[in-house]
Amino acid sequence: MGNKGDTARAAARMPGRHKIQPAGVRKIDNLTARLEALLASRRENAGWNAAYEEMVAALARTGFMDHALKTGEVFPDFMLPNAEGRLVSLAEIRAAGPVVISFFRGEWCPFCRLMLAALAAALPEIEAAGGTLLALTPETGGLPLDMKTYHKAKFEVLADVDCGVGLAAGVIFTVPKLYRARLVAAKLNFPERHGNGGWFLPIPATYIIRPDGVIAWRFLDVDFSHRPEPADIVAALRTMRAQA
Amino acid sequence: MELSQVRYFVTLCRTLNFTRAAAQCQVTQPAFTRAIQRLEDEFGGALIFRERSLTQLTELGRAVRPHLEAMLDAADAARSTADAKAGRRAEVLKIGLGPGIGAGEIGGVIHEVTRALPEVTIHFEEAGPAALIESMLTDKLDCALLPDFCDLPERLNRWTLYRDNAVAVLPPGHRLAGRNALTAGDLADETILHSEYCGGFATRLAATCPLRLQRCHGATAQMLDLVAAGIGIALLSDRLRIPPPLAARPFTDPDLSRAILLAVVAGRPLNPAAGNFLKLCRARRFA
Repeated sequence: MGNKGDTARAAARMPGRHKIQPAGVRKIDNLTARLEALLASRRENAGWNAAYEEMVAALARTGFMDHALKTGEVFPDFMLPNAEGRLVSLAEIRAAGPVVISFFRGEWCPFCRLMLAALAAALPEIEAAGGTLLALTPETGGLPLDMKTYHKAKFEVLADVDCGVGLAAGVIFTVPKLYRARLVAAKLNFPERHGNGGWFLPIPATYIIRPDGVIAWRFLDVDFSHRPEPADIVAALRTMRAQA
Repeated sequence: MELSQVRYFVTLCRTLNFTRAAAQCQVTQPAFTRAIQRLEDEFGGALIFRERSLTQLTELGRAVRPHLEAMLDAADAARSTADAKAGRRAEVLKIGLGPGIGAGEIGGVIHEVTRALPEVTIHFEEAGPAALIESMLTDKLDCALLPDFCDLPERLNRWTLYRDNAVAVLPPGHRLAGRNALTAGDLADETILHSEYCGGFATRLAATCPLRLQRCHGATAQMLDLVAAGIGIALLSDRLRIPPPLAARPFTDPDLSRAILLAVVAGRPLNPAAGNFLKLCRARRFA
């Protein structure tokens, strides 16, 4: 799987590919390959692999796809603090156009970092397609600002304090035993980072909300190494614009 | 987990009765029971202990209850704030300030709350930790900033916001004003003004070395007046603004620094102003 990622990146650098893809999309279309390469390297560690498999199996059993908010349902309005300490209101932002809401696990997560980097690169296209991007993280204590600074992100990073919005969306789970033990061993103090001893995390969910609050598109997966391609988010926004 | 599952569980925790809890949640009892069972499956163990006439929380149930309550409150609060903003409801945000703790550090957060909820009234209460804790428990205060060395009951959630340190506040032209930092030895021949509300710096220093204390029960403002009148030196938080011509010099030895905690009663729903104040304080890092 590591080779596959390298191959995809090498292919992306080949001059021939530039001609057949719209300008700008080229740099955002290989997130999946990068995630697969990262996952493959992580799975070489037997302990990590066991924790990963336990988590994905546990989440698959509890049936997220059925109970999380679905396309056609209304995403509840919320107000959350952003990285700079201002309150951001979904109702105010969606009045101006579609909103992309993406749930992240935290500043520490290398899979989230890959996706945030891809979104930062794709932001001009997301905005050109009329979308506003909001990244939500359960982390507190200035970590949302760290996340934003690390990625030089020009989109909002919001602190979903106590995972309230994630719970309302139905994308929160309790971290299973093996994975929790690995986090503890890695000195990732969730109770301190979240300001809550619950060991809750969101699955990597991304929603696109229409200006009327209805969910037009979603990406949901219990496997944290699976993320939507920014190009797919841009395509969904363009479809919405074409239909509007 | 689902919002409804968490709501059912929290309702069950409060009623300890399946029939009543299901009725309160307006759901049939079989559906209610299934939802609780699925939650138990996610947590990997029983949350509720059932016998014919007795429903109790298991140890696991007791352990997860506060976290699920906090998350449910956050879900409801995110929504009700959005509604409050739309409806422009008047709210009061009642903040307790412990001894020697100013509102300067939380000024930016309060500004943001007033921007989002313009109808809000801000109410401060300055008192000792015991009085503020009592006010929170009896619902007269939403939250309080307290020093870490006071005894907080288990029922209070707390988050460290920042650390403050002592400064020695000197009258104009004082012999120590030329120094960059002061230690206990420098204060040996000085009178130290000491009040219940000065932050406990003088009391904690007096426990380590002999000090000449002048008791004066009043607020920080009166203490500064007494320093200006030349009665003595005050040891106050470096987070307070000390007006000229008084001079403030860092007090470095022994270390009298303290962590300032934000405390709130666990499991009590807050109005949108207080809820947002709390979230804003927790989301950021105080320098």
